[in-house]
Amino acid sequence: PPSQAALSQHGLSLQMRGSRSKTLHDRALVNCQYSMATFSTGERKRRPHGDRKSNEMTQHLKQTFEAAILTQLYPRSQIDIYVQILQADGGNYCACVNAATLAVIDAGIPMRDYVCASSAGFIEDTPLADLNYVEEAAGGPQVALALLPKSDQIALLEMNSRLHEDHLESVIEAASKACKDVYAVLDQVVREHLQEVTTLLGE
Amino acid sequence: KENCRPYGRELGEFRTTTVNIGSIATADGSALVKLGNTTVICGVKAEFAAPPADATNKGYIVPNVDLPALCSARFRSGPPGEEAQAASQFIADVIENSQIIMKEELCIANGKLAWVLYCDLICLDYDGNILDAFTCAFLAALKNVQLPKVTINEETGLAEVNFKEKTPLNIRKHPIATSFAIFDDTLLIVDPTAEEEDLATGSITVVMDEDGRLCSVHKPGGSGLTGAKLQDCITRAVTRHKEVKKLMDTTTESVKLK
Repeated sequence: PPSQAALSQHGLSLQMRGSRSKTLHDRALVNCQYSMATFSTGERKRRPHGDRKSNEMTQHLKQTFEAAILTQLYPRSQIDIYVQILQADGGNYCACVNAATLAVIDAGIPMRDYVCASSAGFIEDTPLADLNYVEEAAGGPQVALALLPKSDQIALLEMNSRLHEDHLESVIEAASKACKDVYAVLDQVVREHLQEVTTLLGE
Repeated sequence: KENCRPYGRELGEFRTTTVNIGSIATADGSALVKLGNTTVICGVKAEFAAPPADATNKGYIVPNVDLPALCSARFRSGPPGEEAQAASQFIADVIENSQIIMKEELCIANGKLAWVLYCDLICLDYDGNILDAFTCAFLAALKNVQLPKVTINEETGLAEVNFKEKTPLNIRKHPIATSFAIFDDTLLIVDPTAEEEDLATGSITVVMDEDGRLCSVHKPGGSGLTGAKLQDCITRAVTRHKEVKKLMDTTTESVKLK
């Protein structure tokens, strides 16, 4: 989808700045920040972060990655994940999750599995996977799903608007399939990158 | 000693420069510039505003630089730090000094309505020499801007926007920045990386336009520089201008062909 997100990870830091009280003695603290560029939306966005929607997104990302990263391996440390949306065209949360997965892998931080996300909706009795801005704005029910593809475990599921329970399964099915497709792409990219890097290092 | 830098780069050589124009569809104009690892993106959004009271026939160009925590571990999240604010002011000065656009051309109706161009520059990866990258991205994004035709309805006094008729901005001058790091008053290296900047004792940025005119010389303190060295910087800036202008023209042409 044309939503573009830029991501960076600063690896692990021994938690020194900020409140010492937030340090967890037995695992790493995952800290996320979600920010939108002012030119990312149709109308210029005056508050890139700090508003309610951004804070909610930040919380969701944090919860998703706390479920996936093996935080017990890094007690008393902090992992910072910063996501910046450059162009928003629907599926912002999903683009962030996919980008963050790649960044965490790039940083060498171990995870249980890739986290792949996709949205899905239900328009005119048809489940639709990966909604764009126009489809989201239409106001129908939407589901955002973050999946750990190998084990088929759901890291995060969010639904808004109203959907009849009979249709829920097909919508989740559509989102799951899209997640697995994303997983195939991410996995291929990671393997290609790894091959490139090891070839360069070997020289 | 060997007169070159890590990875065999010459003292007067720039890193590989990449320009990508028009990638952000939600912005009215956009450009992504990479100088080696340093990556910056500029997005321009055009909005309406009332012209300033003391210059009723002018519009506004508002640059804003953001150095978010994601571009480098040296930045924390929060309000813009010193470096971001200084960079914003630098870009604002370049706009004023180089007269890149006549603000009068941004006016739609004298005293009533004018365009305001919000130019947001975000650094995505900080590896030194952000001023050069920002100036280049800013110029490229402005060249990409297409403003729709606006007419004021005589009867209602409201603005009518015709999105089907778009015209590009009239870019009068093309300022390009060239930055140097100074070591111990004697050694000058062009396009410093973050590591080189941290070790340098001073820095200087020269902004030139295509007519060989100096738009700005920015030397914020640091170790001294002789007149002769300054002249060397200016000479290098002239050659750099040609390189970058050629790159930008090629990129703009390729975007038009689509």
